[in-house]
Amino acid sequence: MSLRILVVGEAQNGRLAGSTLEAIGKARALAGPDGVVGFLAGPHPEALADFAQHGVATVWSASDPRLDEVPVGAISPFVMGVAESVHPDLILLGGTTFGRDMAGHLGARGHAPVATGVTEITRVEGGLRVRRPIFGGRATETRRLEGNRAVVALRPHAFPAPAPAPVSPEVRPVATGDIPPRWLAPKRTGVDAPSAGAGPGLADATIVVSGGRGVRTADNFHLVEELAASLGAAVGASRAVTDAGWRPPSLQVGQTGRTVSPQLYVAVGISGAIQHLVGMVSSRVIVAINSDASAPIFKVADVGVVGDLFQIVPALTREIRKTRGLA
Amino acid sequence: MEIVVCVKPVPDPETRLRASPDGSALDTEGVKFMLAGYDESAVEQALLLKESVPGSKVHAVSFGPAPRTEEVLRAAIALGCDQATWVEAPAGAPGDPMVAARALADVIGKLPHDLVLCGKQAGDEESGVVAAALGELLQIPDFGCVLSPRWDAAQNLLTFRRATESGEEAWVAPLPCVVGLQQAWNDPRTAKLPAILKSRKAPIAHASAAPEAGDHSVGERFELPPPRTGAKLIEFKTPEEAATKLVRYLREEAKVFP
Amino acid sequence: MPDFSLTSEQESLRDLARKFARTEMAPHAAECDKGPRFPEEIYRKAFDLGLMNLNVPADYGGSGLGSFDQCLIVEELAYACGGMTTSIIANCLALEPILLDGTPEQKERFLKPFCSEYHLASFALTEPSGGSDAASMRTVAKPDGDSYVLTGEKCFITNAPHASLYTVFATVDPSLRHKGVTAFVVPRSAAGVLPGKDEDKMGHRASSTSTIRFEGVRVPKEDRLGAEGGGFSLAMRTLDQTRTPIGALATGIAQAALDHAASYSLKRQTFGKPIAEHQAIQIKLATMAQAVRAARLLTWYAAWTIDRGQKGTLESSIAKCFASDAALHVADEAIQTFGGYGYMKDYPVEKLLRDAKLTQIYEGANEIQRTVIARELLRTYA
Repeated sequence: MSLRILVVGEAQNGRLAGSTLEAIGKARALAGPDGVVGFLAGPHPEALADFAQHGVATVWSASDPRLDEVPVGAISPFVMGVAESVHPDLILLGGTTFGRDMAGHLGARGHAPVATGVTEITRVEGGLRVRRPIFGGRATETRRLEGNRAVVALRPHAFPAPAPAPVSPEVRPVATGDIPPRWLAPKRTGVDAPSAGAGPGLADATIVVSGGRGVRTADNFHLVEELAASLGAAVGASRAVTDAGWRPPSLQVGQTGRTVSPQLYVAVGISGAIQHLVGMVSSRVIVAINSDASAPIFKVADVGVVGDLFQIVPALTREIRKTRGLA
Repeated sequence: MEIVVCVKPVPDPETRLRASPDGSALDTEGVKFMLAGYDESAVEQALLLKESVPGSKVHAVSFGPAPRTEEVLRAAIALGCDQATWVEAPAGAPGDPMVAARALADVIGKLPHDLVLCGKQAGDEESGVVAAALGELLQIPDFGCVLSPRWDAAQNLLTFRRATESGEEAWVAPLPCVVGLQQAWNDPRTAKLPAILKSRKAPIAHASAAPEAGDHSVGERFELPPPRTGAKLIEFKTPEEAATKLVRYLREEAKVFP
Repeated sequence: MPDFSLTSEQESLRDLARKFARTEMAPHAAECDKGPRFPEEIYRKAFDLGLMNLNVPADYGGSGLGSFDQCLIVEELAYACGGMTTSIIANCLALEPILLDGTPEQKERFLKPFCSEYHLASFALTEPSGGSDAASMRTVAKPDGDSYVLTGEKCFITNAPHASLYTVFATVDPSLRHKGVTAFVVPRSAAGVLPGKDEDKMGHRASSTSTIRFEGVRVPKEDRLGAEGGGFSLAMRTLDQTRTPIGALATGIAQAALDHAASYSLKRQTFGKPIAEHQAIQIKLATMAQAVRAARLLTWYAAWTIDRGQKGTLESSIAKCFASDAALHVADEAIQTFGGYGYMKDYPVEKLLRDAKLTQIYEGANEIQRTVIARELLRTYA
């Protein structure tokens, strides 16, 4: 019996978010192209078309523009409505802020087991088996999601974006007339897009370059930022840096900051205290640059340079720019 | 403002993790459980809001087994929470975030709750779905990844920011609502000694979760990654040599070069 | 059966002290030692968290802890810095005489305002003429109408330059020796109270120590603790209470020394392997570990005895004497483990030896502790 999967999508800048594409790719691998349908809230015709571009023909579209501005709880009833006609075995989402919130709603509403940050899904007798990192990536658990339906949000960047596989789209409109007033009362009053030229945000980035106390002053931190720019990377910071006010707390990677799991994490002048490690230790490749050979970061790094970062980092930035043919 | 803050006892972040003998879960022998991470920040935020809105009260709620759950609630009381309720997890509870959410919603539904505060995710299993599930179960708006919530008394609205992939959103919302807090203080308050002593005698309400019907997620295996053997150190005589070797490593061995 | 496990409450107290010690005290220990600097901002934080005035009942604004709970806290603080711990617990020493022999009115009058805000206090017993020989003191308290006039000099008094309150022992008649010693509570603000300059000490340099001169200080009768001539007994009973926490202080220093030596021995390599694999180092570490354990357990036992309401003189003397000697020995061996590096001020271990040394001298020099132990011991055989 083949699986039926409902992918709840998310639009970003009018197109389907990268995390949704990853979910589509995984859904098609699990259920075959005919086993996947999509859902999208908000008026985003290009994002809607992206579903069909990647092999998902049937998409349920709740195109009411109000849905772009409401809390997730206003949208979940419409997803559940679709689920009641489609009877998916699995509702799959990207692991974004929206994806995890929606997963929580759908699991609670539909009395279905939920797993987020998932890196592997397989079918088993009686349900699905998932693997996911826990404890900041220091361990992995395998869970069985039992029953007729499960809700899963994938870990961002854990699955590849699918190759385009265009099919003819079939859009099914979802009526959204009645939205209870309590969902319309909260208002989004503004959005600060991540500043242009500052590189990708930490959450999304495939490469992160972080600076720590070894950088010594706020002014020196530009060395870290230049290295990041040369790699097209996001910039992160240790708690010492944000505590000292050299950079804002939104850049902090660590136990009380963000957890990131990019393909490459470069730690510059970071000693590797456990509070920082839990925020980045599940990165695929870790490079450490530090003048102290006994710094704990070298225990978790894959490759290390013990030396003066004030010499090494600019040299590295130059070498990368040269290799990439940048000015 | 009647504030409910949800907390979870989690292993000390500095614990050396080990799998249980049968490999199915974390070995909790000798592991210290405590209030930590985003939950600790949620308590701090609850107390800051309480202090900014006269007449407010904070009620801490936690779902879990004895004795760690009661200890975490005592820690919350020592920090300044006015009351606490412990929802005892039934024996053999599957460790499923939806089970916790349902148990908490059941209790919170019966308490006055203008604002329900959760940490964005627990420091151990990190699902990050409880705040959203509570919103669904309590049928009030919920917001995840929240930063800087403040009460605007003039407008009678909660103002806050949310960190999303598209940037930082600014929001206003009337109460009641649920907030999953991403904001973390690097220096949350420390409970003072007299408060710690007093918290030992504080009454903690006790509720039992109704036995769970329906489908669950069940933990099967707990695995540690293969131990990292430590960094391969690049030998170099000049910074340029270090740079060249590092770039070569990134391209050819690690294959992460953009 | 004895149960060596701590209650959840005790664990919470210990964790509070440990967190404060590691985050607030430890980062400044080396700098204050070097200065020397008296880190008032750290002492204020200790006060804010309720880590000062541990022995004063909650009714008077203290933390009201028994001996065992105090020891748990003191060991954690001393692990980070012996000197800062000395200044923090000096309040307990100074206030204990008020707790023991103060009238309810005196306790109310002295303790409540003192404990309600950050204040430091000093216990002023030692004189140039004698520390161990307290009965030979020359500071006189001359009865004069409804007060006494104090004249004399005390020395080596912890916190003296910064204290707002002194518990002073003076004699109403030197010829009576210990039968003349009388205790008084004297505010810093009284005319004629002259604390001296901070001494330049071998260790405990974050703690401030000086002389105090009393030049015709008028002390009202109401500020006398207990009866005339009751001061010597009060001083001895005070030290019975405060001796055990010194055992904990010494244990904290010893534990820190052991931890430094053990982790260093795993990293430092000589002759092709970590020095922890050399038998000479292993034997050192084994001896150190035994000494630290024994120091802690003797201290715990003495504290348990006192918390049961017993005088505990024998047990507390054994604990203080053993733990302080152990701290010195363990710190010494820790330096030896570090070799040449241990001798450098850049490394943390030489400070531990300098801090350990004082624990053998103050709060009852170990020579006196041994005579006390012998006396108390023999009493049980008589």
